[in-house]
Amino acid sequence: MIALRPDRVTIIRTICAREWREAAGNRLLVAMTLLPPVVILLAGIGAVGAAAIYPPSERDVEALYAASPAMRGLDPTEAVQGIIATYFLILFMLIPTVVPLTMAIYSVIGEKSARTLEPLLATPAGVGELLFAKSIASTIPAVLVTWVAYVVYLVSVRAVGSQPAVNAVTASRWILAIIILVPLLTLLSVNLGIFISTRVNDVRVAQQIGGLVVVPVVGLGIAQVTGRVVFSDSAFVQTALFLIALDVAVFYLARLAFQRENILVRWR
Amino acid sequence: MLADVATILRAEGLTKRFGGLTAVDALDLEVREGEVFGFLGPNGAGKTTTLRLFCALIAPTSGTAEIAGARLGRDDARIRATVGILTEQPGLYERQSAAQNLRFFGALYGLPRKVAAEQTDRYLRLMGLWDRRDEAVATFSRGMKQKVAIARAAMHEPRIVFLDEPTTGLDPDAARTVREFIGRIRDEGRTVFLCTHNLDEADRLCDRVAFFRRKVLRLDTPAGLRAELYGQATEFRLVPRPREEDLVRVRAVDGVRSAVAEDGGIVVSSDDPLRTNPQVIRVLVAGGADVAYVTERRVPLEDVYLRIVEGVG
Repeated sequence: MIALRPDRVTIIRTICAREWREAAGNRLLVAMTLLPPVVILLAGIGAVGAAAIYPPSERDVEALYAASPAMRGLDPTEAVQGIIATYFLILFMLIPTVVPLTMAIYSVIGEKSARTLEPLLATPAGVGELLFAKSIASTIPAVLVTWVAYVVYLVSVRAVGSQPAVNAVTASRWILAIIILVPLLTLLSVNLGIFISTRVNDVRVAQQIGGLVVVPVVGLGIAQVTGRVVFSDSAFVQTALFLIALDVAVFYLARLAFQRENILVRWR
Repeated sequence: MLADVATILRAEGLTKRFGGLTAVDALDLEVREGEVFGFLGPNGAGKTTTLRLFCALIAPTSGTAEIAGARLGRDDARIRATVGILTEQPGLYERQSAAQNLRFFGALYGLPRKVAAEQTDRYLRLMGLWDRRDEAVATFSRGMKQKVAIARAAMHEPRIVFLDEPTTGLDPDAARTVREFIGRIRDEGRTVFLCTHNLDEADRLCDRVAFFRRKVLRLDTPAGLRAELYGQATEFRLVPRPREEDLVRVRAVDGVRSAVAEDGGIVVSSDDPLRTNPQVIRVLVAGGADVAYVTERRVPLEDVYLRIVEGVG
Protein backbone atom coordinates (compact mmCIF):
# COMPACT_ATOMS: atom_id res chain seq x y z
CA MET A 1 0.00 0.00 0.00
CA ILE A 2 1.31 3.43 -0.88
CA ALA A 3 -0.12 6.54 0.72
CA LEU A 4 -0.97 9.38 -1.60
CA ARG A 5 -1.27 13.10 -1.35
CA PRO A 6 -5.01 13.50 -0.70
CA ASP A 7 -7.05 15.80 -2.91
CA ARG A 8 -8.18 19.16 -1.59
CA VAL A 9 -11.81 18.11 -1.19
CA THR A 10 -10.77 15.14 0.96
CA ILE A 11 -8.56 17.34 3.13
CA ILE A 12 -11.31 19.91 3.66
CA ARG A 13 -13.95 17.27 4.31
CA THR A 14 -11.70 15.37 6.72
CA ILE A 15 -10.50 18.43 8.65
CA CYS A 16 -14.00 19.90 8.84
CA ALA A 17 -15.49 16.64 10.12
CA ARG A 18 -12.82 16.38 12.80
CA GLU A 19 -13.03 20.03 13.86
CA TRP A 20 -16.82 19.88 14.08
CA ARG A 21 -16.74 16.65 16.06
CA GLU A 22 -14.21 18.23 18.39
CA ALA A 23 -16.24 21.45 18.69
CA ALA A 24 -19.49 19.57 19.31
CA GLY A 25 -17.86 17.90 22.30
CA ASN A 26 -16.75 21.24 23.76
CA ARG A 27 -19.72 22.73 25.61
CA LEU A 28 -18.01 26.07 26.15
CA LEU A 29 -17.34 26.39 22.44
CA VAL A 30 -20.91 25.45 21.54
CA ALA A 31 -22.24 27.98 24.06
CA MET A 32 -19.90 30.70 22.72
CA THR A 33 -21.11 29.94 19.21
CA LEU A 34 -24.81 29.97 19.94
CA LEU A 35 -25.07 32.62 22.64
CA PRO A 36 -24.47 35.80 20.56
CA PRO A 37 -27.03 35.00 17.82
CA VAL A 38 -29.60 33.85 20.38
CA VAL A 39 -29.18 37.02 22.45
CA ILE A 40 -29.35 39.30 19.40
CA LEU A 41 -32.30 37.37 18.04
CA LEU A 42 -34.30 37.47 21.29
CA ALA A 43 -33.46 41.12 21.86
CA GLY A 44 -34.43 42.03 18.29
CA ILE A 45 -37.75 40.17 18.31
CA GLY A 46 -38.49 41.46 21.81
CA ALA A 47 -37.74 45.05 20.82
CA VAL A 48 -39.88 44.94 17.67
CA GLY A 49 -42.73 43.31 19.60
CA ALA A 50 -42.41 45.74 22.51
CA ALA A 51 -42.56 48.72 20.15
CA ALA A 52 -46.11 47.64 19.18
CA ILE A 53 -47.21 47.34 22.79
CA TYR A 54 -45.60 50.52 24.08
CA PRO A 55 -46.19 53.34 21.58
CA PRO A 56 -43.39 55.92 21.45
CA SER A 57 -43.70 59.39 22.94
CA GLU A 58 -43.95 62.38 20.61
CA ARG A 59 -40.40 63.37 21.46
CA ASP A 60 -39.12 59.88 20.56
CA VAL A 61 -41.04 59.96 17.28
CA GLU A 62 -39.53 63.33 16.31
CA ALA A 63 -36.03 62.05 17.10
CA LEU A 64 -36.62 58.91 15.02
CA TYR A 65 -38.03 60.85 12.07
CA ALA A 66 -34.97 63.10 12.21
CA ALA A 67 -32.66 60.04 11.99
CA SER A 68 -34.79 58.29 9.31
CA PRO A 69 -36.62 60.89 7.18
CA ALA A 70 -37.99 58.12 4.90
CA MET A 71 -40.27 57.00 7.74
CA ARG A 72 -41.95 60.40 8.08
CA GLY A 73 -45.65 60.18 7.33
CA LEU A 74 -46.04 56.60 8.52
CA ASP A 75 -47.89 55.54 11.61
CA PRO A 76 -45.44 56.32 14.47
CA THR A 77 -45.72 52.86 16.07
CA GLU A 78 -45.17 51.08 12.77
CA ALA A 79 -42.35 53.44 11.86
CA VAL A 80 -40.60 52.76 15.16
CA GLN A 81 -40.91 49.04 14.55
CA GLY A 82 -39.32 49.50 11.13
CA ILE A 83 -36.44 51.50 12.55
CA ILE A 84 -35.84 49.04 15.39
CA ALA A 85 -35.97 46.09 12.97
CA THR A 86 -33.26 47.79 10.87
CA TYR A 87 -31.06 48.52 13.90
CA PHE A 88 -31.05 44.86 14.82
CA LEU A 89 -30.14 43.87 11.28
CA ILE A 90 -26.93 45.82 11.81
CA LEU A 91 -26.31 43.78 14.94
CA PHE A 92 -26.65 40.65 12.82
CA MET A 93 -23.46 41.74 11.09
CA LEU A 94 -21.70 41.35 14.43
CA ILE A 95 -22.52 37.63 14.60
CA PRO A 96 -20.04 36.55 11.91
CA THR A 97 -17.28 38.61 13.53
CA VAL A 98 -17.81 37.19 17.02
CA VAL A 99 -19.04 33.60 16.56
CA PRO A 100 -16.25 32.00 14.46
CA LEU A 101 -13.41 33.72 16.30
CA THR A 102 -13.47 31.35 19.25
CA MET A 103 -13.56 28.24 17.07
CA ALA A 104 -10.77 29.53 14.81
CA ILE A 105 -8.60 30.38 17.81
CA TYR A 106 -9.26 27.00 19.44
CA SER A 107 -8.49 25.19 16.18
CA VAL A 108 -4.90 26.48 16.21
CA ILE A 109 -4.10 27.14 19.88
CA GLY A 110 -5.86 23.91 20.86
CA GLU A 111 -3.66 21.96 18.47
CA LYS A 112 -0.58 23.83 19.64
CA SER A 113 -1.16 22.97 23.28
CA ALA A 114 -2.14 19.35 22.53
CA ARG A 115 0.98 18.95 20.34
CA THR A 116 -1.15 17.57 17.51
CA LEU A 117 0.24 19.84 14.82
CA GLU A 118 3.43 17.89 14.15
CA PRO A 119 1.69 14.62 13.20
CA LEU A 120 -0.74 16.67 11.12
CA LEU A 121 2.09 18.43 9.30
CA ALA A 122 3.83 15.09 8.73
CA THR A 123 1.01 13.95 6.43
CA PRO A 124 1.24 14.54 2.67
CA ALA A 125 -1.42 17.29 2.93
CA GLY A 126 -0.06 20.73 2.04
CA VAL A 127 0.17 23.40 4.73
CA GLY A 128 -1.86 25.86 2.66
CA GLU A 129 -4.56 23.23 2.25
CA LEU A 130 -4.58 22.48 5.97
CA LEU A 131 -4.91 26.18 6.74
CA PHE A 132 -7.66 26.65 4.15
CA ALA A 133 -9.51 23.62 5.52
CA LYS A 134 -9.27 24.94 9.07
CA SER A 135 -10.50 28.30 7.87
CA ILE A 136 -13.50 26.74 6.12
CA ALA A 137 -14.24 24.54 9.15
CA SER A 138 -14.67 27.65 11.31
CA THR A 139 -16.43 29.72 8.65
CA ILE A 140 -19.25 27.38 7.63
CA PRO A 141 -20.91 27.02 11.07
CA ALA A 142 -20.75 30.77 11.72
CA VAL A 143 -22.29 31.61 8.35
CA LEU A 144 -25.01 28.98 8.81
CA VAL A 145 -25.78 30.20 12.33
CA THR A 146 -26.08 33.79 11.07
CA TRP A 147 -28.29 32.79 8.14
CA VAL A 148 -30.53 30.66 10.33
CA ALA A 149 -30.77 33.51 12.87
CA TYR A 150 -31.69 35.90 10.06
CA VAL A 151 -34.43 33.58 8.77
CA VAL A 152 -35.84 33.18 12.29
CA TYR A 153 -35.69 36.96 12.73
CA LEU A 154 -37.44 37.49 9.40
CA VAL A 155 -40.24 35.05 10.22
CA SER A 156 -40.63 36.51 13.73
CA VAL A 157 -40.78 40.10 12.48
CA ARG A 158 -43.46 39.05 9.99
CA ALA A 159 -45.41 37.59 12.93
CA VAL A 160 -45.08 40.43 15.44
CA GLY A 161 -44.02 43.43 13.36
CA SER A 162 -45.62 46.08 11.18
CA GLN A 163 -45.38 46.28 7.40
CA PRO A 164 -42.54 48.84 7.57
CA ALA A 165 -40.67 46.42 9.83
CA VAL A 166 -41.22 43.57 7.38
CA ASN A 167 -40.15 45.82 4.51
CA ALA A 168 -36.98 46.72 6.41
CA VAL A 169 -35.86 43.15 7.05
CA THR A 170 -36.73 41.93 3.56
CA ALA A 171 -35.07 44.86 1.74
CA SER A 172 -33.00 43.44 -1.10
CA ARG A 173 -29.91 45.34 0.09
CA TRP A 174 -30.10 43.66 3.49
CA ILE A 175 -30.74 40.23 2.00
CA LEU A 176 -27.69 40.69 -0.20
CA ALA A 177 -25.71 41.90 2.81
CA ILE A 178 -26.64 38.79 4.72
CA ILE A 179 -25.82 36.52 1.78
CA ILE A 180 -22.58 38.18 0.66
CA LEU A 181 -21.15 40.30 3.49
CA VAL A 182 -21.73 37.72 6.22
CA PRO A 183 -19.40 35.09 4.65
CA LEU A 184 -16.82 37.78 3.89
CA LEU A 185 -16.90 39.12 7.44
CA THR A 186 -16.75 35.56 8.79
CA LEU A 187 -13.68 34.73 6.71
CA LEU A 188 -12.03 37.94 7.88
CA SER A 189 -12.68 37.10 11.51
CA VAL A 190 -11.57 33.47 11.10
CA ASN A 191 -8.30 34.22 9.34
CA LEU A 192 -7.53 37.04 11.74
CA GLY A 193 -8.19 34.59 14.56
CA ILE A 194 -5.87 32.03 12.98
CA PHE A 195 -3.18 34.64 12.37
CA ILE A 196 -3.39 35.87 15.97
CA SER A 197 -3.29 32.26 17.21
CA THR A 198 0.00 31.73 15.44
CA ARG A 199 1.46 34.55 17.54
CA VAL A 200 0.09 33.87 21.03
CA ASN A 201 -0.45 30.76 23.15
CA ASP A 202 -3.33 31.88 25.34
CA VAL A 203 -6.90 31.56 24.08
CA ARG A 204 -8.03 34.54 26.20
CA VAL A 205 -5.33 36.84 24.84
CA ALA A 206 -6.14 35.75 21.28
CA GLN A 207 -9.83 36.43 21.87
CA GLN A 208 -9.12 39.88 23.29
CA ILE A 209 -7.02 40.83 20.30
CA GLY A 210 -9.40 39.19 17.83
CA GLY A 211 -12.34 40.96 19.43
CA LEU A 212 -11.07 44.18 17.89
CA VAL A 213 -12.46 42.98 14.54
CA VAL A 214 -15.94 44.02 15.74
CA VAL A 215 -14.88 47.64 16.14
CA PRO A 216 -15.21 48.69 12.46
CA VAL A 217 -18.55 46.86 12.17
CA VAL A 218 -19.89 48.56 15.30
CA GLY A 219 -18.57 51.90 14.02
CA LEU A 220 -20.32 51.40 10.70
CA GLY A 221 -23.53 50.48 12.51
CA ILE A 222 -23.42 53.55 14.73
CA ALA A 223 -22.69 55.73 11.72
CA GLN A 224 -25.73 54.40 9.94
CA VAL A 225 -28.03 54.62 12.94
CA THR A 226 -27.09 58.25 13.46
CA GLY A 227 -27.64 58.91 9.78
CA ARG A 228 -23.98 59.81 9.11
CA VAL A 229 -23.57 56.96 6.63
CA VAL A 230 -26.25 55.82 4.20
CA PHE A 231 -25.89 52.16 3.23
CA SER A 232 -26.50 52.77 -0.47
CA ASP A 233 -25.99 50.30 -3.33
CA SER A 234 -22.57 51.70 -4.19
CA ALA A 235 -21.51 51.66 -0.52
CA PHE A 236 -22.58 48.02 -0.38
CA VAL A 237 -20.49 47.10 -3.44
CA GLN A 238 -17.50 49.06 -2.14
CA THR A 239 -17.77 47.37 1.24
CA ALA A 240 -17.96 43.92 -0.39
CA LEU A 241 -14.91 44.62 -2.58
CA PHE A 242 -12.99 46.01 0.38
CA LEU A 243 -13.81 42.91 2.43
CA ILE A 244 -12.73 40.58 -0.39
CA ALA A 245 -9.37 42.38 -0.61
CA LEU A 246 -9.02 42.30 3.17
CA ASP A 247 -9.90 38.59 3.30
CA VAL A 248 -7.23 37.76 0.73
CA ALA A 249 -4.65 39.89 2.55
CA VAL A 250 -5.39 38.39 5.97
CA PHE A 251 -5.40 34.83 4.59
CA TYR A 252 -2.04 35.55 2.96
CA LEU A 253 -0.72 36.85 6.31
CA ALA A 254 -2.00 33.75 8.10
CA ARG A 255 -0.43 31.56 5.39
CA LEU A 256 2.91 33.32 5.88
CA ALA A 257 2.79 32.65 9.60
CA PHE A 258 1.53 29.08 9.15
CA GLN A 259 4.75 27.50 7.81
CA ARG A 260 5.83 23.96 8.69
CA GLU A 261 9.21 24.97 10.01
CA ASN A 262 7.89 27.99 11.94
CA ILE A 263 5.24 25.86 13.57
CA LEU A 264 7.63 23.09 14.61
CA VAL A 265 10.66 25.11 15.59
CA ARG A 266 9.43 28.51 16.74
CA TRP A 267 5.93 27.94 18.10
CA ARG A 268 5.96 27.13 21.79
CA MET B 1 19.45 9.09 -8.67
CA LEU B 2 21.51 8.58 -5.55
CA ALA B 3 19.68 5.68 -3.97
CA ASP B 4 19.95 2.09 -5.14
CA VAL B 5 17.63 -0.81 -4.34
CA ALA B 6 19.18 -1.73 -0.99
CA THR B 7 19.44 1.82 0.30
CA ILE B 8 16.22 3.43 1.40
CA LEU B 9 17.74 6.54 2.91
CA ARG B 10 20.89 8.35 1.93
CA ALA B 11 22.06 11.71 3.26
CA GLU B 12 25.01 13.61 1.89
CA GLY B 13 26.39 16.61 3.74
CA LEU B 14 22.99 17.24 5.31
CA THR B 15 23.23 20.33 7.49
CA LYS B 16 20.70 22.24 9.53
CA ARG B 17 21.47 25.51 11.25
CA PHE B 18 19.19 27.59 13.44
CA GLY B 19 20.82 31.01 13.46
CA GLY B 20 24.28 30.44 14.90
CA LEU B 21 23.48 26.95 16.18
CA THR B 22 24.39 23.98 14.02
CA ALA B 23 21.98 21.20 14.94
CA VAL B 24 23.04 18.77 12.19
CA ASP B 25 26.50 19.12 10.73
CA ALA B 26 27.25 17.69 7.27
CA LEU B 27 25.56 14.37 7.98
CA ASP B 28 26.48 11.50 5.68
CA LEU B 29 24.37 8.42 6.25
CA GLU B 30 22.98 5.37 4.52
CA VAL B 31 20.15 3.25 5.83
CA ARG B 32 19.39 -0.09 4.20
CA GLU B 33 15.95 -1.26 3.24
CA GLY B 34 14.43 -3.67 5.78
CA GLU B 35 16.78 -2.98 8.70
CA VAL B 36 16.10 -1.59 12.14
CA PHE B 37 18.51 1.30 12.35
CA GLY B 38 19.31 2.75 15.77
CA PHE B 39 20.07 6.46 16.00
CA LEU B 40 21.61 7.04 19.41
CA GLY B 41 22.84 10.20 21.02
CA PRO B 42 22.48 12.42 24.08
CA ASN B 43 19.73 14.99 24.58
CA GLY B 44 20.31 17.97 22.33
CA ALA B 45 22.44 15.96 19.90
CA GLY B 46 20.12 16.86 16.99
CA LYS B 47 18.29 13.54 16.65
CA THR B 48 14.80 15.02 16.47
CA THR B 49 15.99 17.68 14.03
CA THR B 50 17.45 14.93 11.84
CA LEU B 51 14.17 13.04 11.97
CA ARG B 52 12.26 16.16 10.97
CA LEU B 53 14.66 16.69 8.08
CA PHE B 54 14.19 13.14 6.82
CA CYS B 55 10.41 13.45 7.10
CA ALA B 56 10.45 16.71 5.08
CA LEU B 57 9.06 18.65 8.01
CA ILE B 58 11.88 21.19 7.97
CA ALA B 59 14.23 22.18 5.19
CA PRO B 60 17.98 21.59 5.31
CA THR B 61 20.36 24.55 5.29
CA SER B 62 22.58 22.64 2.88
CA GLY B 63 23.24 19.12 1.69
CA THR B 64 20.82 16.62 0.31
CA ALA B 65 18.98 13.44 1.14
CA GLU B 66 16.97 10.84 -0.69
CA ILE B 67 14.31 8.84 1.05
CA ALA B 68 12.83 5.92 -0.90
CA GLY B 69 13.97 7.52 -4.11
CA ALA B 70 12.39 10.90 -3.38
CA ARG B 71 14.69 13.87 -3.04
CA LEU B 72 14.37 16.18 -0.06
CA GLY B 73 13.32 19.68 -1.09
CA ARG B 74 11.98 18.53 -4.45
CA ASP B 75 9.59 15.69 -3.60
CA ASP B 76 8.60 16.64 -0.06
CA ALA B 77 4.94 15.63 -0.34
CA ARG B 78 6.02 12.27 -1.76
CA ILE B 79 8.47 11.79 1.10
CA ARG B 80 5.74 12.51 3.64
CA ALA B 81 3.52 9.94 1.95
CA THR B 82 6.33 7.37 1.93
CA VAL B 83 7.41 7.68 5.56
CA GLY B 84 5.68 7.35 8.89
CA ILE B 85 6.75 9.22 12.01
CA LEU B 86 6.19 8.81 15.71
CA THR B 87 6.88 12.21 17.22
CA GLU B 88 8.25 12.83 20.72
CA GLN B 89 4.72 13.47 22.01
CA PRO B 90 1.86 11.18 20.94
CA GLY B 91 -0.06 14.26 19.74
CA LEU B 92 -3.50 12.66 19.59
CA TYR B 93 -6.90 14.32 19.60
CA GLU B 94 -7.86 13.55 23.17
CA ARG B 95 -11.62 14.08 22.88
CA GLN B 96 -11.81 11.62 20.01
CA SER B 97 -11.59 7.87 20.10
CA ALA B 98 -8.59 5.82 19.04
CA ALA B 99 -10.48 4.68 15.94
CA GLN B 100 -11.49 8.23 15.03
CA ASN B 101 -7.89 9.40 15.40
CA LEU B 102 -6.59 6.67 13.11
CA ARG B 103 -9.31 7.05 10.48
CA PHE B 104 -8.66 10.79 10.41
CA PHE B 105 -4.96 10.34 9.73
CA GLY B 106 -5.66 7.52 7.29
CA ALA B 107 -7.72 9.95 5.22
CA LEU B 108 -4.96 12.58 5.33
CA TYR B 109 -2.51 9.94 4.10
CA GLY B 110 -4.79 9.55 1.12
CA LEU B 111 -6.15 6.12 2.02
CA PRO B 112 -9.62 5.45 0.61
CA ARG B 113 -12.24 5.44 3.35
CA LYS B 114 -12.72 1.65 3.29
CA VAL B 115 -8.97 0.98 3.39
CA ALA B 116 -8.51 3.50 6.22
CA ALA B 117 -11.23 1.74 8.21
CA GLU B 118 -9.68 -1.69 7.58
CA GLN B 119 -6.20 -0.49 8.53
CA THR B 120 -7.58 1.17 11.65
CA ASP B 121 -9.14 -2.10 12.76
CA ARG B 122 -6.02 -4.09 11.90
CA TYR B 123 -3.61 -1.85 13.79
CA LEU B 124 -5.85 -1.46 16.82
CA ARG B 125 -5.97 -5.25 17.09
CA LEU B 126 -2.19 -5.50 16.63
CA MET B 127 -1.67 -2.99 19.42
CA GLY B 128 -4.12 -4.73 21.74
CA LEU B 129 -6.49 -1.76 21.77
CA TRP B 130 -9.44 -3.26 19.94
CA ASP B 131 -11.65 -3.43 23.03
CA ARG B 132 -11.17 0.27 23.69
CA ARG B 133 -11.31 1.49 20.11
CA ASP B 134 -14.36 3.71 20.65
CA GLU B 135 -13.24 5.31 23.90
CA ALA B 136 -11.88 8.85 24.03
CA VAL B 137 -8.09 8.90 23.96
CA ALA B 138 -8.17 11.20 27.01
CA THR B 139 -9.08 8.16 29.11
CA PHE B 140 -6.02 6.20 27.91
CA SER B 141 -2.80 5.65 29.82
CA ARG B 142 0.48 7.02 28.47
CA GLY B 143 1.36 3.59 27.09
CA MET B 144 -1.95 3.20 25.29
CA LYS B 145 -1.63 6.64 23.74
CA GLN B 146 1.85 5.75 22.56
CA LYS B 147 0.51 2.58 20.96
CA VAL B 148 -2.17 4.57 19.10
CA ALA B 149 0.51 7.02 17.94
CA ILE B 150 2.70 4.16 16.69
CA ALA B 151 -0.29 2.67 14.86
CA ARG B 152 -0.84 6.08 13.28
CA ALA B 153 2.79 6.16 12.10
CA ALA B 154 2.52 2.74 10.46
CA MET B 155 -1.10 2.36 9.32
CA HIS B 156 -0.46 3.66 5.79
CA GLU B 157 2.29 1.04 5.58
CA PRO B 158 5.18 3.38 4.88
CA ARG B 159 8.43 1.92 3.55
CA ILE B 160 10.32 3.54 6.41
CA VAL B 161 9.00 4.35 9.88
CA PHE B 162 10.77 6.92 12.07
CA LEU B 163 10.22 6.32 15.77
CA ASP B 164 11.34 8.96 18.26
CA GLU B 165 11.75 7.38 21.72
CA PRO B 166 8.90 4.88 21.25
CA THR B 167 9.15 3.20 24.64
CA THR B 168 10.04 6.13 26.87
CA GLY B 169 7.75 6.23 29.89
CA LEU B 170 6.03 2.94 29.07
CA ASP B 171 5.50 0.10 31.51
CA PRO B 172 7.30 -3.17 30.68
CA ASP B 173 4.21 -4.74 29.13
CA ALA B 174 3.53 -1.82 26.81
CA ALA B 175 7.22 -1.53 25.95
CA ARG B 176 7.24 -5.21 25.00
CA THR B 177 4.22 -4.74 22.71
CA VAL B 178 6.02 -1.86 21.00
CA ARG B 179 9.22 -3.88 20.58
CA GLU B 180 7.26 -6.79 19.14
CA PHE B 181 5.57 -4.39 16.77
CA ILE B 182 8.94 -3.06 15.61
CA GLY B 183 10.03 -6.64 14.97
CA ARG B 184 6.87 -7.24 12.96
CA ILE B 185 7.54 -4.18 10.79
CA ARG B 186 11.03 -5.47 10.10
CA ASP B 187 9.67 -8.93 9.30
CA GLU B 188 7.42 -7.29 6.69
CA GLY B 189 10.56 -5.96 5.01
CA ARG B 190 10.01 -2.36 6.07
CA THR B 191 12.67 -0.16 7.57
CA VAL B 192 12.61 1.25 11.09
CA PHE B 193 14.67 4.30 12.01
CA LEU B 194 14.75 4.20 15.78
CA CYS B 195 15.81 7.14 17.96
CA THR B 196 16.19 5.96 21.51
CA HIS B 197 17.97 6.47 24.78
CA ASN B 198 17.25 2.90 25.73
CA LEU B 199 20.54 1.24 24.81
CA ASP B 200 19.44 -2.20 25.90
CA GLU B 201 16.47 -1.89 23.56
CA ALA B 202 18.71 -0.68 20.72
CA ASP B 203 21.02 -3.62 21.36
CA ARG B 204 18.15 -6.09 21.13
CA LEU B 205 16.32 -4.56 18.19
CA CYS B 206 18.79 -2.82 15.91
CA ASP B 207 20.68 -4.37 13.04
CA ARG B 208 22.97 -1.36 12.99
CA VAL B 209 23.38 1.66 15.22
CA ALA B 210 24.81 5.11 14.67
CA PHE B 211 26.13 7.16 17.56
CA PHE B 212 25.27 10.73 16.79
CA ARG B 213 26.13 14.15 18.09
CA ARG B 214 25.46 16.70 15.36
CA LYS B 215 27.17 14.21 13.04
CA VAL B 216 27.64 10.46 13.02
CA LEU B 217 30.47 9.57 15.38
CA ARG B 218 30.46 5.81 14.69
CA LEU B 219 28.20 3.44 12.76
CA ASP B 220 28.20 -0.35 12.80
CA THR B 221 26.33 -3.35 14.16
CA PRO B 222 26.22 -3.45 17.97
CA ALA B 223 28.44 -6.56 17.88
CA GLY B 224 30.84 -4.87 15.48
CA LEU B 225 31.19 -1.82 17.72
CA ARG B 226 31.81 -4.01 20.76
CA ALA B 227 34.42 -6.01 18.91
CA GLU B 228 36.10 -2.86 17.61
CA LEU B 229 36.30 -1.17 20.98
CA TYR B 230 36.55 -4.02 23.42
CA GLY B 231 37.23 -7.12 21.38
CA GLN B 232 35.04 -10.09 22.19
CA ALA B 233 34.99 -10.85 25.87
CA THR B 234 34.76 -14.26 27.53
CA GLU B 235 34.51 -15.02 31.22
CA PHE B 236 36.44 -18.02 32.61
CA ARG B 237 35.11 -18.96 36.05
CA LEU B 238 37.80 -20.72 38.11
CA VAL B 239 37.57 -22.81 41.25
CA PRO B 240 38.97 -21.59 43.59
CA ARG B 241 39.29 -17.88 42.70
CA PRO B 242 41.91 -16.91 40.08
CA ARG B 243 45.46 -16.24 41.21
CA GLU B 244 47.81 -13.57 39.95
CA GLU B 245 49.87 -16.18 38.05
CA ASP B 246 46.71 -17.31 36.21
CA LEU B 247 46.24 -13.76 34.93
CA VAL B 248 49.88 -13.55 33.85
CA ARG B 249 49.62 -16.83 31.91
CA VAL B 250 46.38 -15.77 30.18
CA ARG B 251 47.77 -12.37 29.21
CA ALA B 252 50.70 -14.11 27.56
CA VAL B 253 48.41 -16.00 25.16
CA ASP B 254 48.76 -14.79 21.61
CA GLY B 255 45.68 -12.79 20.54
CA VAL B 256 44.51 -11.87 24.04
CA ARG B 257 43.93 -8.12 24.30
CA SER B 258 43.28 -7.95 28.01
CA ALA B 259 42.56 -10.16 30.98
CA VAL B 260 41.15 -8.90 34.27
CA ALA B 261 40.03 -10.64 37.42
CA GLU B 262 36.39 -10.03 38.12
CA ASP B 263 33.97 -11.71 40.57
CA GLY B 264 35.85 -14.99 40.93
CA GLY B 265 36.65 -15.27 37.25
CA ILE B 266 38.90 -13.90 34.55
CA VAL B 267 37.36 -11.75 31.83
CA VAL B 268 39.39 -12.19 28.67
CA SER B 269 39.07 -9.90 25.70
CA SER B 270 40.32 -10.98 22.30
CA ASP B 271 39.68 -10.36 18.61
CA ASP B 272 39.21 -14.06 17.79
CA PRO B 273 37.82 -15.99 20.75
CA LEU B 274 37.37 -19.15 18.68
CA ARG B 275 41.14 -19.34 18.40
CA THR B 276 42.24 -17.87 21.75
CA ASN B 277 39.74 -19.44 24.16
CA PRO B 278 40.98 -23.07 23.76
CA GLN B 279 44.53 -21.82 24.33
CA VAL B 280 43.44 -19.89 27.43
CA ILE B 281 41.81 -23.01 28.84
CA ARG B 282 44.93 -25.03 28.12
CA VAL B 283 47.32 -22.60 29.90
CA LEU B 284 44.97 -22.31 32.89
CA VAL B 285 44.67 -26.06 33.28
CA ALA B 286 48.42 -26.50 32.71
CA GLY B 287 49.01 -23.95 35.49
CA GLY B 288 46.91 -25.98 37.91
CA ALA B 289 43.66 -23.98 37.77
CA ASP B 290 40.29 -25.68 37.55
CA VAL B 291 37.96 -24.07 34.96
CA ALA B 292 34.38 -24.46 36.22
CA TYR B 293 32.67 -22.89 33.20
CA VAL B 294 33.22 -20.55 30.29
CA THR B 295 30.63 -17.97 29.19
CA GLU B 296 30.50 -15.25 26.59
CA ARG B 297 30.59 -11.80 28.20
CA ARG B 298 28.71 -9.11 26.31
CA VAL B 299 29.94 -5.60 26.98
CA PRO B 300 26.79 -3.52 27.53
CA LEU B 301 26.05 -1.18 24.63
CA GLU B 302 25.94 1.51 27.30
CA ASP B 303 29.71 1.11 27.75
CA VAL B 304 30.22 1.42 24.01
CA TYR B 305 27.96 4.49 23.96
CA LEU B 306 29.76 6.16 26.85
CA ARG B 307 33.15 5.56 25.29
CA ILE B 308 32.14 6.89 21.86
CA VAL B 309 29.76 9.70 22.73
CA GLU B 310 31.00 10.86 26.11
CA GLY B 311 34.61 9.75 25.83
CA VAL B 312 34.28 7.73 29.05
CA GLY B 313 35.89 4.32 29.66
